[in-house]
This record gives sequence, C-alpha cells and structure tokens, in this order.
Amino acid sequence: MKHGLELLEPMFQGKLPERVPVILNLFEQGANELNLSIEEYYSDVDHIVEGQVRMAEKFGHDNLWATFYAAIDAETLGSKKTIFSDDGPPNVGQLIIRQYADVDELTIPGNINDSPFFSKQTELVKKLKKKAAGRLPVCAYVVASFSLPVLLMGIDRWLTLLLTGSSVIREALLAKCSEFVIKKIMALREAGADMIAYANPIASATFIKAHQFDKLAAKWISSDFKGAGSRNLVYFGGGGKIEPFLERIIDSSDAGAYYLNPFDDIVSAKVKVGPRGLVTGAINDIKLMSWSSGQIRAEVKQIMDKGKPNGGFLFGTQMMPYKISDKNIHIMVKAAHEYGRY
Amino acid sequence: MINQYLEDYYNAVYDTNRNEAFRVIDEALAKGVQPEEVVFKIIVPAIDKMINALTTDLDATISQHFIASQVAEEITEKMLARFKIKPGMEGRVIIGTPLGDFHGLGKKIVAGCLRANLFMVEDIGLNISPEVFVDKAESFGAQVIGISSMMIHTATGENGPKMVKKILIQRGLENKIKLVVGGAPYRFDSDLYKEVGADAYADNGITATKVIRELLGEVKNETRA
Repeated sequence: MKHGLELLEPMFQGKLPERVPVILNLFEQGANELNLSIEEYYSDVDHIVEGQVRMAEKFGHDNLWATFYAAIDAETLGSKKTIFSDDGPPNVGQLIIRQYADVDELTIPGNINDSPFFSKQTELVKKLKKKAAGRLPVCAYVVASFSLPVLLMGIDRWLTLLLTGSSVIREALLAKCSEFVIKKIMALREAGADMIAYANPIASATFIKAHQFDKLAAKWISSDFKGAGSRNLVYFGGGGKIEPFLERIIDSSDAGAYYLNPFDDIVSAKVKVGPRGLVTGAINDIKLMSWSSGQIRAEVKQIMDKGKPNGGFLFGTQMMPYKISDKNIHIMVKAAHEYGRY
Repeated sequence: MINQYLEDYYNAVYDTNRNEAFRVIDEALAKGVQPEEVVFKIIVPAIDKMINALTTDLDATISQHFIASQVAEEITEKMLARFKIKPGMEGRVIIGTPLGDFHGLGKKIVAGCLRANLFMVEDIGLNISPEVFVDKAESFGAQVIGISSMMIHTATGENGPKMVKKILIQRGLENKIKLVVGGAPYRFDSDLYKEVGADAYADNGITATKVIRELLGEVKNETRA
C-alpha cells in the first residue's frame, strides 16, 4: 500500500492517488509514547522527533508534525511564561501586550533564527525531514497574522481592538504580526517543511461575518501569502468554519489546500475549490473520544463519501484531544484506509 | 417611538456596531426615554430577540455575541445608577474557568448578558480550583455556578466541572446550587455536559441567559419542595 508522499505527490499534479491520505494532528500524544510529562517532552527537540516517528509507525497515518505548541510564538516575541498541563496543550502564561502602548514596544526579530525559541523549530523540521527520508511529509504550523494577536494580548482584548478600537493601533499590530508570520513561513520552508498549516481561526465564519472578513481580514491574509509565497501552504480554520468564506479565502490566499472544520460542508467546499487546490475534511475528534467502533466507521464513511469522488481530497482531524484512546484512533485510521481506497 | 429605538439598537448590536448602539441609546435618553425603559424595553428585549435570532441563525458569530453582551452590560450598568427605585435582581451566579484553562472570552460574554438581564454575577476569573468555585458560590449565595472551558482536557478533567459537582453533592448543595457549563468542547459534543455532571449546558454566551434562568426555576422548585 502506498503511503505519505507517494499519495500526495500525484495529487498535487491533479491525479488520483491509490487512496485518500490520512492526516492525524497528534501533538502532545508523543509525550505519552515516550512516557514523559508534556513539559519534559517539549523540552527537547529529539523527544518530538522520536514521538512523531513512533506514532506514525503505530497508527499508519500519512504525515509527521514538526511543531511544538502555539504558545511558542508568544515566547519568540518576548513572553516569559508558558503554562504546561498534564493532559493538554500548553498555554501562554504572560501576555506581552497588556495595553495598547505595548504595541509600539513589540519588536519582530530581524533574523528570526536568532531566537532560541524559533531556531529549535527549524532544527525540528530538519531532524524530522531526515527521519522521514522522503516517505512522509513533514508538516509545520504557523498562526496567521490576523489570529496571532490572540497569543499576544488575549482573545477578548484582541476582539475589542479589532471590532471597536483604534484602526491605527490595529493596523500597526497586524503589520508587525504579518512581518513575523512571513519570516516564520520562509524559515520553516527553507528548513525543509513539506507542508505548512496556516491557522486563522479569528478570520473564520465562527468568529466574524463575511463583510468583516472583507474589511478586516482579507488584507492581512494577502499580506502573509504575498510576502511568503503560497507554495506548500495549507489554509486551516484552526477550529473555526471556513467553507462559507472559501471563495474569499481563495481570492486572498491562493493556498495549495484548504483544511475544513468538522461542521463545514465538504461537498460545497469541493465545488468552491475545484481544481484550484486540495480539500481536507475533518472528523469531529471530540466525539471520537466517546464514539463506538460502529459510529467511528460510519462517520469516516460519510466523510469519504462526500469528499473522495474525483480526488483532490484528504481525510483529517482537528486538534486531537490528548485522551483519545489508541483503540479509537486505530479504528478510525483503518476505516479511512478502507473507505478511502480508489 | 420606543419600538423604533429597540429596532435600531438591535440592528446595531447584531451588526457588531458598538458606536451606533450607544448613539441610539443616547438619542433615546435625549428624547425623554427613562433609564428604566432603556433597560426593560430596549436592552432586555434586544437580548431576548437576539437569543431567538441566534438560535435559528446558524451563521451567527462569536463577534456578535461579544459585542451584544459587552454593550448591553455597559449600558445597563449606567442606567441602573440612574434608576429611581433599585430593581429586584433575577438571581446570583458565580462564573469562571476551570483549573488549567486561561481562556476568558466565553465567561465574559455570559457575564455581560446576565448582568444586562439584572442577574448578580461574580466573575471569579481564570484557572479556578473546584473548591474555590463552591466556596465562592456559598459565600456569594449563588444559585448557579457557570464554568466556561475552551479546552477539552479542562472541560472533562478531574479538576473541572466533575469535581465541582462532587463537592456540591458532598456538601449537600446539589439542589440549592446548579451547575451549568459552556465553551468550545460542548459545541462539538452536545452530550458532553452530562458526562461532566453538569445540570445544563449553553451553546453560546447569549443563550446562557435563558438556560440559567431555567436553572433558577429548578432551584426555586427544589428548595421549596
């Protein structure tokens, strides 16, 4: 059975693969594989390399994640505290923008690789790339400029500034965020990342209306994509619905693939994207924790039935909860291999 | 006349236009509408109308919830200071996020809507232990504890709502203090609230007002019986 890049490469040329590729968003689960706490796991690049490789061997999915956690962007930009959990992703522990005057103080590193918080991300890409040996795509992760302020000032302050605050401060902040995102994408790509997920939850239909997307978000998506180039970028809603905005997103981004939310309409998304990119349909991985074997298989089948026809489709998950059982992951992957075969 | 102000105010908050919402209220006051009328004939009916709209509008956004809640809370607070007679309050609610959860948007939206509907609300903040939830609820005289979780592990973990419910039962308070939960994980699994021992769940900040009002009714019935 073909695997990983053997499946993806023909898809980028518009051809049908042997089966639908399966993308699993497994992150902190690597700590469990190595019998480490999540904080210990993230303290060493080699732990993540080992955790990712072991999980890919165990579950048989088609990707590796060369990423730490979202809060690492805040660390790179000056946050002194990250709060680790025993059973979930780390959180930003110190917001670096507490008042609007702090936006002036925000400094984007001239050479992003000078930051130890960033250089270990490129080191991780390089090491995983070597381990993958051209078999599995190495995926990296960036938070879009329009959503990055959440990590710097908190979501309520960001929404307040975005919706009711000074446009001058908002634009100044987003310009800095876009500069950071562009540098990050280019450095990750240069390090060898095969695919880079561009996560933009605040620009999703879960958070804003279409007219707000046009007025507030589109410009910054364009800025990020024009600055970094669209090659190997995957537009990801990051937990928000993107299908209602897909035409707008395509106009602003020209990404290679679009990664849907479980509540997005897969059939409509495939029509909207057409030959302009790939579509990834995601299973509801919160329900995956409690579904029976039959329910998991039925859910995978209905996703494949909607997305598989005519190719250009990947099967994916959201940000898989730490406590999903291995058994349920195995059932899902097995069903995806079975129902995803062409 | 007041119906037109209600309509204009509602359209402004639905469109996340904070400045227009305040302009409508300022104009209403300048034209002689009383602070009591602003609250009971504009703000509260607008939230009720929004509950109905957001229940049927599947495309409603978090921005709409956020602006509607914050504007309503701010105006109500200003109007209450100008009331001729202090109004009776609907009930008392404690709200916060569970241990390990640092995401406060949901509880801020809920607290704003509740205050605009004349509930007494104590926002006890982020990263709250189960014992503190219950202790604060007792000292505040709350009939409802609201716990907002952004993360699945904080929603379902042993130090979240599950433990709060356990402590309520241990202290014999489960009929006097009801537990409501909300946040992203519950939107992905609408049965999850039962697993964590909550009495109810609210799909979003705006409809939380309706859910909590129903829980208050249950508390009154159960404590009367």
